[in-house]
Amino acid sequence: MYNTEVRGPLILGNKSLGQITADITSPLYARPKFWWIVGLGISSVMMLLGFWAIYVTISTGIGVWGVNNTVGWGWAIINFVWWIGIGHAGTAFSIFLLILRQEWRSSINRAAEAMTVVAVGCAAIFPALHMGRIWDAFFILPYPNTRGPLWVNYNSPLFWDFIAISAYLLISASFWYLGMIPDFATIRDNTTSKVKKAAYGFFAMGWRGSVGEWKRYEGLSYILGGIAAVLVVSVHSIVSTDFAVGVEPGWHTTIFPPYFVVGAIFSGFAMVMTLMIILRRIYKLEEFVTDAHLDKVAKILIFVSLIMGTAYLTEIFVAWYSGNEYEIFTFFHNRITGEFTKQFWAMFIFNAIVPQLMWFKKIRGNLVVVFIISILINVGMWFERFNIVVTSLSKDYLPSAWASYSPTFVEVSVYLGTLGIFIFGVLLFFKYIPMIAISEVKAVNKYQLKSKEGKKPLTQNS
Amino acid sequence: MESKFILGIYDQEETLLQAFRKMKEEGVEIEDVFTPYPIHEVLEKHGRKSRMTVVGWFYGFFAALGVLAFLFYTAVIDWPLNYGGKPSNAFPSFLVITIVLTIFSITILSLFTFSVRANLWPSNEKPIYHNKATDDKFVILVNKSKVDPGRATTLLKNAGATEVIEK
Repeated sequence: MYNTEVRGPLILGNKSLGQITADITSPLYARPKFWWIVGLGISSVMMLLGFWAIYVTISTGIGVWGVNNTVGWGWAIINFVWWIGIGHAGTAFSIFLLILRQEWRSSINRAAEAMTVVAVGCAAIFPALHMGRIWDAFFILPYPNTRGPLWVNYNSPLFWDFIAISAYLLISASFWYLGMIPDFATIRDNTTSKVKKAAYGFFAMGWRGSVGEWKRYEGLSYILGGIAAVLVVSVHSIVSTDFAVGVEPGWHTTIFPPYFVVGAIFSGFAMVMTLMIILRRIYKLEEFVTDAHLDKVAKILIFVSLIMGTAYLTEIFVAWYSGNEYEIFTFFHNRITGEFTKQFWAMFIFNAIVPQLMWFKKIRGNLVVVFIISILINVGMWFERFNIVVTSLSKDYLPSAWASYSPTFVEVSVYLGTLGIFIFGVLLFFKYIPMIAISEVKAVNKYQLKSKEGKKPLTQNS
Repeated sequence: MESKFILGIYDQEETLLQAFRKMKEEGVEIEDVFTPYPIHEVLEKHGRKSRMTVVGWFYGFFAALGVLAFLFYTAVIDWPLNYGGKPSNAFPSFLVITIVLTIFSITILSLFTFSVRANLWPSNEKPIYHNKATDDKFVILVNKSKVDPGRATTLLKNAGATEVIEK
């Protein structure tokens, strides 16, 4: 199917199967480290701040935010789209690469999926709050109610959004959990602690690795993988239609759905890069997440960055080519120059230009630089959403309705709160769940064992 | 308690496969095989093919029909609301919801099917024959009552088992 002679081993260090188990599960048995407890503390404080801000928003109303009649969507929608984008990493990694039979995914997919689940959870907070009267949020469900029954508007992208995100959260969580069942069984059978045996045994649900179990496991993972691939594309396309059905200048280009999907995968992969560089360093997993793995992610980032650059230029070109004065105003006098120049150029430089540095092997090989680039991409992607939301809304057709926008402390606190939830979730993941899919790594490890007996020496890079 | 099963334990995928092939050849019935990761030759040649994907297709087919019927009933028959003069049966925009809810239904239904068919649920107490089978050992399980125990033991050993135990 694929040739390891060409690609090089996926796992370094000639590990035996028992060693793989021991290496990956050792953080679960070790006592929590000092930095881990500090991290948990800081993220808890951020979460508390976020919960306070959510409380203020719900008890007082959306008026505590900086949004106004003109700019009705502020940080809430920016952050919603940003988090959903980051949440695309897990699915892009595990599912696209599963369907494409890219075996190198197996060292990274677990962490990427963990990110997805937490990030989508963070994202869901924002539209729920933005609805205003959150206690009436269930009105969005089409259920036989006493108001008619009056059903919901199926033509509204906001309703599509609701079901798409619920489905996405469910599928990514179940795909993640499914992959963990064999690993939980491994921990159950290896641990000496009675508490761990009971806890992981509960979640392993009696997994033994029998033929019947593996058969259905593979069947189910292909079903979930296949349909989730469709979902990844549709979720962010639906998010883009939230914008594209509006009449605002700057939201009209037909490239919106693919532009959003690609942007989501871009920020997701950047976040995976950030997380994997940290994870392999602190847990000494360099032999599982090898330099070759990160090199591959970097190459994907370069390619996706080119698509992003093309999309930005296409938008600008179409605005000019259309001759529509409102489009021209938005792009040329409100983004490239004008009130939001800084944000526009931050987006353009961080997303379309800086990642191009990774064409150079030296830069790609220097993980400090790659780490900084991956953070810059996520900052850039945040500014992209800022550009789309705020620049278009603040100055549209009627100059008398123009308004500016800046977030309030409460709004910023909600965002910090979701960052806290994300860090908290990722830290718990580090401690309680095997960070790398043990059974999948074992399956790809055999290629290395085979080639060890072969004649040709293996090179590490492709 | 009298032992009911014979377990052949192997260190490597290759030796397990040798034993597996040999036993299939000689017609010695294998009860089950436990491995730390899926081995496709074993999955293909032992027992029936899993019909998970076929079942999943039917779930999707009926879910899609069901969702479309629901949308049509609520938006066209039960309470046709006028949204800016657009037709009540806005079929193209119903498709978005149909696709997403179909995916949603397939996920939930196949998860339940998986749980039932693979016999997996929380606090399940299935017998664990060898607790290294999820770590680094490959185990072939033979039911004593279905085969000649002596012959099975010799076969398992000759194929390179590190250990043959009765349980």
